[in-house]
Amino acid sequence: MCELTNIINIIGKETVRAIIGLIGVLIIVVGNALVLTWVERKISGHIQRRIGPKEVGPFGLIQPIADSLKLLGKELITPTNVERPLYYLAPTLIFIPVLVSFIVIPFDSYLQVKDINVGILVILAFSSLSVLSILLAGWGSNNKYSLIGALRSVAQNIAYEIPLLLSILPVIFMTNSLSLKDIVEVQREGWFIWKWQFFAFLIYFIAGVAETNRTPFDLPEAESELVAGFHTEYSGMRFALFFLAEYTNIMIISAIATVFFLGGYLGPFFPGIVWFFIKTYFLVFVIMWFRWTFPRVRFDQLLNFSWKILIPVAFMNLIVTGGLLKL
Amino acid sequence: MVKKTIEDIKNTLKNVDVSETSYVERGYHLAIEAQKENVAAIAEFFDKKGFYLADLCCVDYVDYLELVYFFNNHRELCRVKVAFKVEPEKPAAPTISHIYTIAHWYEREIHEFFGVYFEGHPHLVYLFLHDGIDCYPLRRNKVPVTEDDKKLLNSFKPEEYEDGFFVNLGPQHPSTHGVLRVVVDMDGEYIMSAEPVLGYLHRMHEKMAENRSYLQFLPNPPRMDYLGALNFNLGHVTAVEKLCNIEVPERAQYIRTITAELNRISSHLLWVGAFVADLGGLTPFLYTFDDRENILDILEGITGSRLTYCYFRFGGLYNDVDDTFIDATKQFIKRLRGRFGMYEQLVTKNVIFINRVKGIGVLEPGRTPKYGCSGPVIRSTGIPFDIRKVEPYAAYDKVGFDIPVGTSGDNMDRYMIRIREMEISLNIIEEAVAKLPSGPFKAEKVPKKLKPPKGDVYHTIESPRGELGVYIVSDESDTPYRMRWRVPSYSNLMTFPYIAKGTLIADAIATLGSYDLVIPEIDR
Repeated sequence: MCELTNIINIIGKETVRAIIGLIGVLIIVVGNALVLTWVERKISGHIQRRIGPKEVGPFGLIQPIADSLKLLGKELITPTNVERPLYYLAPTLIFIPVLVSFIVIPFDSYLQVKDINVGILVILAFSSLSVLSILLAGWGSNNKYSLIGALRSVAQNIAYEIPLLLSILPVIFMTNSLSLKDIVEVQREGWFIWKWQFFAFLIYFIAGVAETNRTPFDLPEAESELVAGFHTEYSGMRFALFFLAEYTNIMIISAIATVFFLGGYLGPFFPGIVWFFIKTYFLVFVIMWFRWTFPRVRFDQLLNFSWKILIPVAFMNLIVTGGLLKL
Repeated sequence: MVKKTIEDIKNTLKNVDVSETSYVERGYHLAIEAQKENVAAIAEFFDKKGFYLADLCCVDYVDYLELVYFFNNHRELCRVKVAFKVEPEKPAAPTISHIYTIAHWYEREIHEFFGVYFEGHPHLVYLFLHDGIDCYPLRRNKVPVTEDDKKLLNSFKPEEYEDGFFVNLGPQHPSTHGVLRVVVDMDGEYIMSAEPVLGYLHRMHEKMAENRSYLQFLPNPPRMDYLGALNFNLGHVTAVEKLCNIEVPERAQYIRTITAELNRISSHLLWVGAFVADLGGLTPFLYTFDDRENILDILEGITGSRLTYCYFRFGGLYNDVDDTFIDATKQFIKRLRGRFGMYEQLVTKNVIFINRVKGIGVLEPGRTPKYGCSGPVIRSTGIPFDIRKVEPYAAYDKVGFDIPVGTSGDNMDRYMIRIREMEISLNIIEEAVAKLPSGPFKAEKVPKKLKPPKGDVYHTIESPRGELGVYIVSDESDTPYRMRWRVPSYSNLMTFPYIAKGTLIADAIATLGSYDLVIPEIDR
């Protein structure tokens, strides 16, 4: 015990905290993806009057592990004529912003890797990076479907990042803080979804679904049009990384919504972390519900919806909130 | 009405050999002997009259090749056969592709199968076949393909085009339910031109028909259209019955109607699911399959198979239906009627769905004769053309039903028409089940080996996708001399390059889905 304390003293408390935090984040990312694949398959199964996975383990619970083992064992096929550096870089690059975002998310009042006072900026800045890796994947694959998918993705992300930002600005106005923990603590008096920011929540959620490329906004990977979009040429573990990033992005979008509008870890009876995950996974469930209910919108409709409806409404909301606060 | 049109044609085409034929025996009202010089003029005349080109085929009589054109009218039934002879050595004929767009494909087909060169055709390349076929397959004698012709047939190579952004939709692509390939020239997300490439599932059913007896060919038609198998089965059987003058007992007629309509519903149900899946909504697919499963169970009980039924026989049926079938059918009618509300909530009223299909893929009624399209595609443009009504077969003249038509010819209309048709089919089934007479279910004294009299017959039925035509030429032997299949998806698909031009790729895929294409049927 004494030796452990010595080691901690030598390398510094902050470093240890960072290492433990990173390991924790990795566990959450991978565990979340495993859980969500199972949940998604079960939800889609029940929505579609099927059973979903049931053979591997009780209720098919081991299924995601079997799937990931299968993906790990697959041959990594590199098609000829791909831009090798970009092709290899893209799946790795999509994974970094995902990891960083988790550092600032408060799972409980005491459970946060690092409370940075510009927390939300970190998340938004890094999540913009994921579009870069999608572009690299689409460009590097040397495939027409991938290229169209990537270009769609860029246009879509630019269009939807603006309403996403505009919809959380009013909350920042009201809390005077960019730290996620402060924003949660302010909501002890009432969640922002009920305190005047209901529209902001709606805009945020719609834009968030679009940011994660989920149905009805899954144009970059529109199956019936572009086969698999930007990850058409990826297989095995490289594909799995895209897959992992998609599910983690859903989780992040839902987690931010929870923090900003649904009171984060606040709630009676249960410990904060339980409340946090209940709220987050409820939103994740809604996103999955969307996917198995709605058809896909068309590309021009998608952009029009953002530029002509979401952004003006978000601006109105911002102005009204700012005005009211000033009064 | 038909008399008047016939008189009109006779009066106008004075210097052409026009003869009236017995419609009941032959399936067409007029037969015109044309010459090489005037066939284009005749086609132009029919085009002006508003006729559509129902079919264009070739028959090899060894001494000469005969090109057979069938014209018909969407407003009233008036089928005209125009035939002219081509010499077998270096056969050539004038093209009518500048008059009827659909002739582009028919002429390409005849060119690759018979070696008939169409003068003036802009694009005589392979349609169904591929490089490596040395003889014209449908010729009676072995006629080798010349080197020049091979070069011409092989000249479509989009992969070598330098300028332009070409995307292959298919043959392995999630949007093209099967093995259709569409070569799309794109400018960003917009389609500049689309060229369907067929033949990936070509099985030469027409040649197969020439090699086996009428009875032996029975299992083949259901395999052309695996979704409307009973309708193709019915088309084949009724055409042969017309050729051989076989009377079918009334009970068999009613059962044919009931089973064919059940099959139509199952086909439309699958289409609804696949269409919404094309638009990105995957769940309705599973729901419609759930309903469709009931039909498959019902039909399995009487036919013994679940998909490619071969239930109808010349002069009747394979076996009689029992009370289980009647009960299950009644049960199914009740069930499906209760499900339409759910489909309406889930699909029809969905805002995203409406925005994706309304006003997209518009086909103007004025253009339909150029393509000879049929089925829901033509009814969506507002033309109530349904073979079940204009040329009743089985027991369709004994049950009452109306034909749903659209107003604008867009994808929404095609969707709504199919939904309405399912409801109407349920009514037809209900009425037919109530009226089902007792009696024998197959005609007596139908010989095992059919030897129909010399002559030809054209017969059409309404398959779930549209007008299915069967043209049989008999030479008194027990095998057909030539059996030609006019399939509905083929001419419906021809409208795709026209509709897709200038649209977004997502809309083009929605339109492609709205045709309800069955590729084995197109490729035969």
